[in-house]
Amino acid sequence: MTFRRALLCSIVVSSVAVFLAAIARGNGPLPGVEISAGPAQMSAAAIDELKAKFRRPAAIPFPKSNPFDEKKKDLGRTLFFDPRLSVTGTVSCASCHNPNLAWSDGLERGVGVTGIPLPRRTPGIVDAAWLTALMWDGRADTLEQQAALPITAEHEMGMPLDVLTKRLNEIDGYKTLFEAVFPGKEINAKTAIAALATYERSLVSNKSSFDRWIDGDELAIAPAARRGFVVFNTTGRCNKCHSGWRFTDDSFHDIGLRSEDIGRGKFAPPSVTIMKHAFKTPSLRNARISGPYMHDGSMKTMEEVLDHYEKGGELRPSLSPEMKPVKLSRQEKDDLVAFLETLIGPPLAEKSPELP
Amino acid sequence: MRVIRTLIIACVVVLSCGPAYSAEHTLVMHHMELEEVTAPVRAGDVIIFDNRSDMTHNLYVIYSDGTVDNLDTQVPGMQRKLTLRVAGPAVIKCWIHPIIRLEMEIGSQDMPPAP
Repeated sequence: MTFRRALLCSIVVSSVAVFLAAIARGNGPLPGVEISAGPAQMSAAAIDELKAKFRRPAAIPFPKSNPFDEKKKDLGRTLFFDPRLSVTGTVSCASCHNPNLAWSDGLERGVGVTGIPLPRRTPGIVDAAWLTALMWDGRADTLEQQAALPITAEHEMGMPLDVLTKRLNEIDGYKTLFEAVFPGKEINAKTAIAALATYERSLVSNKSSFDRWIDGDELAIAPAARRGFVVFNTTGRCNKCHSGWRFTDDSFHDIGLRSEDIGRGKFAPPSVTIMKHAFKTPSLRNARISGPYMHDGSMKTMEEVLDHYEKGGELRPSLSPEMKPVKLSRQEKDDLVAFLETLIGPPLAEKSPELP
Repeated sequence: MRVIRTLIIACVVVLSCGPAYSAEHTLVMHHMELEEVTAPVRAGDVIIFDNRSDMTHNLYVIYSDGTVDNLDTQVPGMQRKLTLRVAGPAVIKCWIHPIIRLEMEIGSQDMPPAP
């Protein structure tokens, strides 16, 4: 063997070895290389452009009418975990928005002070600072409006706001805490709700491997997840509603679930057909661990959810035009699930504070 | 001569008493934003809502007297027309996307039309 031939052989062998090693590590295509996910293909430039739409914001938006204050947030946390905010003294906000269950309750439908199952599933509250419409039907515009709703709802916490004010004033420890945040102001439902809303705004999801990928770490997610990202934004049509870094358009769609509940349709004139059975798009962050799914908890697994979207939902006049049947291969579904798993970040842990 | 003068006066009276001129304005929807109409709008003017976004919208107008005009569902590429009914401040919103909001001042019909 000549020296030239030996050199050529060693180059070829080394290249194959490097390639095989890369596959064995699961690194897949190198940065800047286009991703092919079955029929869905996307160039490297298109992927970079798309990734920019999923970048997390730099800071939490606090409204001028209720600015951030560390002590206010701490007071909000105490109130959030305090069951005395319910009429029976048994249910706190954290009973349904449990930090250990992705700030929901893991139930099909929530249960409050009366023990009667509520009509809808308990939504998670992480990243709520960015919400522009709250509750499944969007009947609250701000966290300040929203916070009062479960407190006063008969089957949730059942607490009239005047009774809440009276009860908080009877707890000596709260006098000190409220005075530190709202000096000279009386303890009432408004100040309590301002503190609760501030605490809720402070609950921001931790960065997941997906965020690290968006930030430029190309190896943060596996090839299957990268393919899933392409499916998510192309053939899967998921991005039609689950858009942006929180994976929600904060908007309302009838996705064709069989249900008597008309959702936002209750708040729209009857002529607004498209709002019948319309519910708010939930975030997909931590979705793989926060089932059951849909507004009524009617689906137990993510696979069931994907099957529903493949079929396109029940055909009716209110069905969202974004809902179209999609055909996904087994591989594409697996890739989608792999992608959704990259949205699971470290848990946003919280310990119950000491109550006054 | 007198007949001609009478005819001219009659024409001026008829023209000045006729319906006010109604302007047409186009309001373009981009993704989740509404492009502002730059010219002054008046009650009686027609707004053409042009959905140039990649998503379906369902806009509605809330007038200063609390009444509402609903436009129906508009898929991408679709245009809908609406005649503005009430002068005063108005808000345009979308049923599907609550983040969409455009405030607009609707002048009265007596106001001179946009140039």
